[in-house]
This record gives sequence, structure tokens and C-alpha cells, in this order.
Amino acid sequence: MRGPESFAHPSEAVCARVLDFYRVRWEYEPTSFPIDWDAKGVIISSFTPDFYLPDQEQYIELTTMSQKLVTKKNRKVRRLREVYPHINIKIFYQRDLKDLLFKYGLRPEEAM
Amino acid sequence: MLGETLFTEADIEEALARLGRELAADYAGRSPILVTVLRGGFMFLADLMRAVPLPLAVDFLSVSAYGPEAGDLGTVRVLKDLQEPITGRDVIVVEDIIDTGLTLNYLLGFLQARRPASLVVCALLDRSVRRIVDIDVKYKGFEVSDDFMVGYGLDHQQLFRELPYIASFSRESDG
Repeated sequence: MRGPESFAHPSEAVCARVLDFYRVRWEYEPTSFPIDWDAKGVIISSFTPDFYLPDQEQYIELTTMSQKLVTKKNRKVRRLREVYPHINIKIFYQRDLKDLLFKYGLRPEEAM
Repeated sequence: MLGETLFTEADIEEALARLGRELAADYAGRSPILVTVLRGGFMFLADLMRAVPLPLAVDFLSVSAYGPEAGDLGTVRVLKDLQEPITGRDVIVVEDIIDTGLTLNYLLGFLQARRPASLVVCALLDRSVRRIVDIDVKYKGFEVSDDFMVGYGLDHQQLFRELPYIASFSRESDG
């Protein structure tokens, strides 16, 4: 189990705690996927999803930015799906996380 | 606060009738056991079993949920186990709503370890857009959106379960 300091954002630590609680195995940022290359084939853009759930073969990307600021991340996820159509990835937005915490009886400021 | 009605009593009755027909056809000549997770699923279970013209058994499970005291609990655990053995039986897990699939994923593993003859899921509401762990929901009443819902067994802080319909519920902080 990692401490909160091991994650790039507090919301990722919350996600890891929830997955641990439900005994779902996870890996944190295990893979960077090249998603764009220049004319010479040099990688110019990569995307590293936050979590990988090996038993489900599922990647999870969290974003706690406000909805209007997630366009760049949406583009990366879309591009990932184009380049790697066999990859299963889900993106969780700020509202999804808030609703999940609400369901668990937690206030976002308490959990994050 | 309580919002608009999303599924009326008539909508729910129609879904129950359809699910009852599907289950009756698939389990004809057999006597499955319906297992539900307390507390949200009790109302759906009670109505569903009356819609299935088969000899049915029922049993109940209760599991801990992630929450403010989760750190004390460590991991999810079964708080109330089944009273009936399920080895070699056809088991239908009856759920009010499935969203992340985290609890159900744990429960299906827990039940599968007892070697039932078959194990499937029947859910009144499926919020698949929220799924973290993929779950095969064989029997489904309604696909639902992001709305937080109460009524027909679904609660907010243990309230609103008694409503005969399902309504959206908004957090005051969103207001």
C-alpha cells in the first residue's frame, strides 16, 4: 500500500484506498503509451493512465479539473483509443469522483 | 433535495413483469435461490419474487461499505452471511442498483467460492457509465444516468427507501 505522498494528486490516493478496500488489485501509472509521432517516427506525445486494474484489464484515468478544462485530457484518451483500440480505459471526471464520495458518505474536502 | 420522478410505479411494475417472464423462461423446471444485499435490494427482491412463477428461495447478505470509518475496517467484509448453502444451486444475485461494481465484484467472488451450479446478476438499475469493475448484468430493469437516486429501496442517509417510485436527489451543496 502506498502513502498519499506517492500519488500525483490526493484524489488518486482516495481512489487507491477505495480499490484497496474492495480488494481490487491495481497498479499506479504502470504504462506510458506513445500516442503521437513526428514525421521521423519520434514520439512527441505520450499518455500515462493513472491506474491499471490487472484482473479487469482496465485502465482508469482520473481528472479533478473542472469539466471545461478537461478538453486536453479527453483528446488524449480519444487518441489512445484510436491508436490502441484493444485498450480498455475509463475516465473519471470531477463530478464522478464527487458523486462516488457522496455515495460513501464522505465530503470531498475530507477525503482529498 | 428530492427531484423529479425518474421511474414511476407503473414503470417499475412493467420492468418487474418483464424480468419475471425472462427469469421464468430461463429457469423453468428449476428452483433458484435469490440472494440480495441488504439493505437497498429488499424492496426489489420482494416484488421480483412475486413476479416469477417458480418455486424460489431467498437469502440475504450484508457487507461493509467504504466510508468515513473504512480505515478502521481495513477491507470490505461480509457482515451477515447466507443462511442457506448454495453449493450446486442456481443463484441469482438481486441488486437494486449497480454502479462502480466494486461491492458486487467482491460478492460474486465470495459466492463463486461456494461452487453454485450457476451465478448470475439481476439488477433493477444499471449505471454502467460509472463502472470501474466490469460486471455481467444478465437481467436488467433500466439503464440509468448519472443522477443520484432515491426511493424503492434506495436511500440517502437511510431515508426515502419507502417511496414507491424512484426519484432523483440533488445534493444541497450543488445548489
